[in-house]
Amino acid sequence: MIATVASHQVLSLRRQRVFLAMLATLLTMTALAGVLGWSSHQTIVRVYDEAVKLLASTGKPAPPNPFLLKPTLSLLSNMVVYIPLIGALLALIVGHLSIVDDETNGTGRLVFSRQVSRTSYVLGKIVSAAIVVAVVLTASLGVSVAALLVVNRAIAGADLGRLVMFYGLSWLYLMVFALIGMVTALMTRRRSIALLSAMGAWLVITFVIPQFTSGLRPTQSLNPITDPASTSQTFFKITSKFRPYSIVEQYKRASGRILQTSTVESLGHTIQRILPIAGAAVVLVLLTIRLVQRHDFSRSANSE
Amino acid sequence: MDAAAIEMTGVRHRYDDTCEILRGIDLTIEPGEVFGFLGHNGAGKTTAINILTTLIVPTSGLARVCGYDVVEQRREVTGCIGYLPSDVRLYGHMTAAENLEFFAKLSGVSEPRKAVAETLDYLDCADLANKRVGSFSTGMRQRIGIAQAIVHRPKVLFLDEPTSGLDPLGVRQLRETILRLNSDLGMTVFMNTHLLSEVSKVCTTIGVLNHGELIYKDSIEETTRRFPDEASLEDIYVRMEAES
Repeated sequence: MIATVASHQVLSLRRQRVFLAMLATLLTMTALAGVLGWSSHQTIVRVYDEAVKLLASTGKPAPPNPFLLKPTLSLLSNMVVYIPLIGALLALIVGHLSIVDDETNGTGRLVFSRQVSRTSYVLGKIVSAAIVVAVVLTASLGVSVAALLVVNRAIAGADLGRLVMFYGLSWLYLMVFALIGMVTALMTRRRSIALLSAMGAWLVITFVIPQFTSGLRPTQSLNPITDPASTSQTFFKITSKFRPYSIVEQYKRASGRILQTSTVESLGHTIQRILPIAGAAVVLVLLTIRLVQRHDFSRSANSE
Repeated sequence: MDAAAIEMTGVRHRYDDTCEILRGIDLTIEPGEVFGFLGHNGAGKTTAINILTTLIVPTSGLARVCGYDVVEQRREVTGCIGYLPSDVRLYGHMTAAENLEFFAKLSGVSEPRKAVAETLDYLDCADLANKRVGSFSTGMRQRIGIAQAIVHRPKVLFLDEPTSGLDPLGVRQLRETILRLNSDLGMTVFMNTHLLSEVSKVCTTIGVLNHGELIYKDSIEETTRRFPDEASLEDIYVRMEAES
């Protein structure tokens, strides 16, 4: 029964224009990340070549090409920004549509007048979201690999492994948002309020919480850059204690470590960063199951 | 089916803090009956169907469908019922066949595609199979709605205001379909409706619900015998409502 619900939901999402539009946006952003990386690579190489020529004309020795010192996957460092922005919104829509369609179409009543348990139903919905997010990220991975091949003409096995690990972590991170989309849809009967609540949660997780847990360093919420000096205010000293629970920060740091674009840290440290994301996903799965058990599907939702 | 098709004993229901919607319903419907459930808006007809289709749990009382308890034996109950709600829209971006196949699978039908084709043929709407439900008129959607309710050949069929939004031709087609389902497949039909003219043409038994209380239940023949002075079922209904 879980497979029936999941396959039906995957087919349903495939037919939704909103989903297709978001998927196209994410893939475009992935390609853009590659183009931006390639562009910066070209610029650095051109500047370096000019410098080499200038130094050669004055008889001075040229330093090694700085771009060669950069890790290959740094080309895609913008993906660490795009996934929490575009990817998380896409995942929210996936989760939201999974539930609200059965509310507004009145099909929830038809489903539960059949031999299907509520647990099977919700697990089917979660599995479908997991499949859809995985397919989206696999497509994005394909675009990333293509971008790397265009720039570097080859990709090392280790780099490919790192890229797969990064997309695996991204899948876990996006599942948190798919589940938030489901939870908010189950907590309110109005479609518009449900979507607004989900987007509110996304804003808080992506922008507001990092402001506090990073000790009010706004650029941190957008770019995975090295910390400037932290604030000395007591308030932010306290809020920064909650930093391990800021999943967007943990995601960006763990991703930076996997893609080798940020400071090297131990594997244990990286796993510690992933645990809050996994924890959030588990809590949301349990909450979704509980909400579906208690939800009244006998009434059609307001489709405003 | 030896047991009564539907049996309700002292069924009460209350939504949250609102007033009691059902106030101790006692009702028995025998297999093969076409039962018309009449009542004003807010009388509790849909709540009764929601309880009988296992969508909500009654606050108190006992309800059984095909001999199974709707609370304790939910799985068995859902295995023998079909349900068409009043305002169902199905999955609009999917074809009729895709919708029906999904519901057939949820009902545990072993060959869902075959069952879907047979059902669409039976209802003379095979031409709708590969069209998206979102593009359908109310009448076409209602036919596919009936198809999803019978694709697994249930013993008891629940229809909630099935004629709402249908034109006269659609109402006639629906009436003929209900009669065929009852005579060909022996389905017991429980139908909530406002259309009294349809009740007298389709139903074998009627029940009248007034503010959550069942104030009348009898066969159509007995009803017209008991109220010989009234010109139509509508007059009888109005008189019963007024007397209660």
